[in-house]
Amino acid sequence: MTLDLETGRPTASTPGPDLLTRIDRAPRRHRRTSTGSIVLDVALAVFGVVMIAPLVWLIVTSLTDPSAAFPTPPSWLPIPFSLQNFADVFDYMPFGQQFGNSVLLAVICTAGSLFFSVLAAYGFARVEFRGSRGLLVFMLSALMVPAQLVIIPVFIMMRELGLVDTLAALWLPALVNVFQIFFLTQYFRSIPRELDEAATIDGAGHLWILFRMLVPLSGPALSALAILSFEASWNGYFGPLIFLSSPENMTLPLGLVVLQNGFGAAPAAVVFAAITLVVLPVLIVFLLFQKQFVSSIASTGLKG
Amino acid sequence: MTESTMLVRRPGAMLRRRRTEAAGWMFVSPALLLFLVFIAGPFAFAIVLALFKWDLLTDPQFIGFDNFAALFADPVLPQVLGNTFVFALASVVTHIVFGLLLAIAVNRVVSRTLNYFLRVAIFFPFLISWAAVSLLWKYVLDPTFGYVAQYGAVVGIDTPNFFTDPAWALPAIIVIDLWHTLGFTFIIMLAGLQTVPTELLEAARTDGANAWQTFWRVTLPLMSPTLFFATIITFIGAFQIFEPIQIITQGGPNDATKTIVMYLYERGFQAFDMGYAAAVAILVFVIVMGVTLLQFIGRRKWVHEA
Repeated sequence: MTLDLETGRPTASTPGPDLLTRIDRAPRRHRRTSTGSIVLDVALAVFGVVMIAPLVWLIVTSLTDPSAAFPTPPSWLPIPFSLQNFADVFDYMPFGQQFGNSVLLAVICTAGSLFFSVLAAYGFARVEFRGSRGLLVFMLSALMVPAQLVIIPVFIMMRELGLVDTLAALWLPALVNVFQIFFLTQYFRSIPRELDEAATIDGAGHLWILFRMLVPLSGPALSALAILSFEASWNGYFGPLIFLSSPENMTLPLGLVVLQNGFGAAPAAVVFAAITLVVLPVLIVFLLFQKQFVSSIASTGLKG
Repeated sequence: MTESTMLVRRPGAMLRRRRTEAAGWMFVSPALLLFLVFIAGPFAFAIVLALFKWDLLTDPQFIGFDNFAALFADPVLPQVLGNTFVFALASVVTHIVFGLLLAIAVNRVVSRTLNYFLRVAIFFPFLISWAAVSLLWKYVLDPTFGYVAQYGAVVGIDTPNFFTDPAWALPAIIVIDLWHTLGFTFIIMLAGLQTVPTELLEAARTDGANAWQTFWRVTLPLMSPTLFFATIITFIGAFQIFEPIQIITQGGPNDATKTIVMYLYERGFQAFDMGYAAAVAILVFVIVMGVTLLQFIGRRKWVHEA
């Protein structure tokens, strides 16, 4: 997303260049390796090592035998190697169940919000009924409203409905995502309207045009939004903290915190193993799909 | 063809138009309904709620603007707002400066391996949940477990007890936030850098400009729209910082890390003073809106508009 300089509003754009893997364009053509650039490279490498040090420490500690955890001076190799901490995770927290809750929540939030956003974006971009512009601006103004303001009444509402301590309290409000609607509306508008007209002449209805034509043509936009939505719900903490109270109903981020400072808190090495179990899949998926992750951020400008 | 000519010329046009109208509303209405129930409705309700005293157990009691009066007289509020602004300002400055410099520095790294390593190392922490980040850093900075204190001891530096020392707790949270979120700013800055035409940089260089002059006269002005966008997004996010504080310090020691959203959470979801929490939330809303508006007003002064 970039900012439209006239209105100051964000404007949707096609996903940006692949910033993580495409590096051939960047450096100067005549590359001279001066002393200065070598010093800078070394400084950057050290910085990179410092950035990943917490993660290396996390994984190494979780793979070390609990009796040898946290040695002085710190160890950066898992000696003696042991998977005991990982086995212990399952004794201290309902990890499998919380993992399932996290997956279920993220899938419902992602699929549900995209479905409703696609429908609404079609209405705004292609049908343009009377008052549609005003309505879109009205909905967009909600982007300025902090989540904490809305969550208080939503909490009261969920309490009345008896949905506190259920995943529904989290996914129901997540079905509507104003940013997605706006982004997709802009994206649909960038697709030539002549396509719709040609399809209409061939007898296609709105639903055919939307799901057989516009949606397949919006692959990059939809996958960028899906990644962001999945990541936001997978990592969410504020909502689960407020709505969920039973360990078996919690999602992983909340489960981790409870594991660490809740009743019958687990030893640090077990907490490390649990964090590793949460971070590792994200790391693997990221290394496989870095291109999509980075372009989703670069193109939408959204914070996860 | 304008709408009026359609109406005159074709008998079926009116019906078709009405059908189009109906179709538009049909596509929009599911999202609109959800929007009214879960966003617009709650927003209006929160404003009304701020006029009541309600603990969710007894009946709500109308008290007018008493919550706001109490809020502005609240002895904790200056500290809470101060912490929040200090955090937000430090966060914006460190993110923008480090994000921009890193993007420029990494962009010129020739070695593919080093370049790839740096991009992954800087960006990946952003994908980890705040919960995992907070727990991990709680140990990294722990005076007995953590490697920071252990290496400090080796070099002869007596590291502070970061989370129990009021002078160090907020700076520690600022560093953790920088580690976690820098990757976002970094990516935005890289995307901005790609918009600076290489020809311009080369032209500047052939005209005899040194690296410093090229940076100040060409790169920076051309990147000002990106900087503007990053400033706004970072401020809005930083002003609402909550997770690391709730997880690591719970606002302590001595309220040294209590930010406005942490305070809101305490009043609303621990003390169950819903009206008061709504008043705090409205204050957050007004401040975020106000600062964002000011940034937009000030943008003509420094943002280069092509």
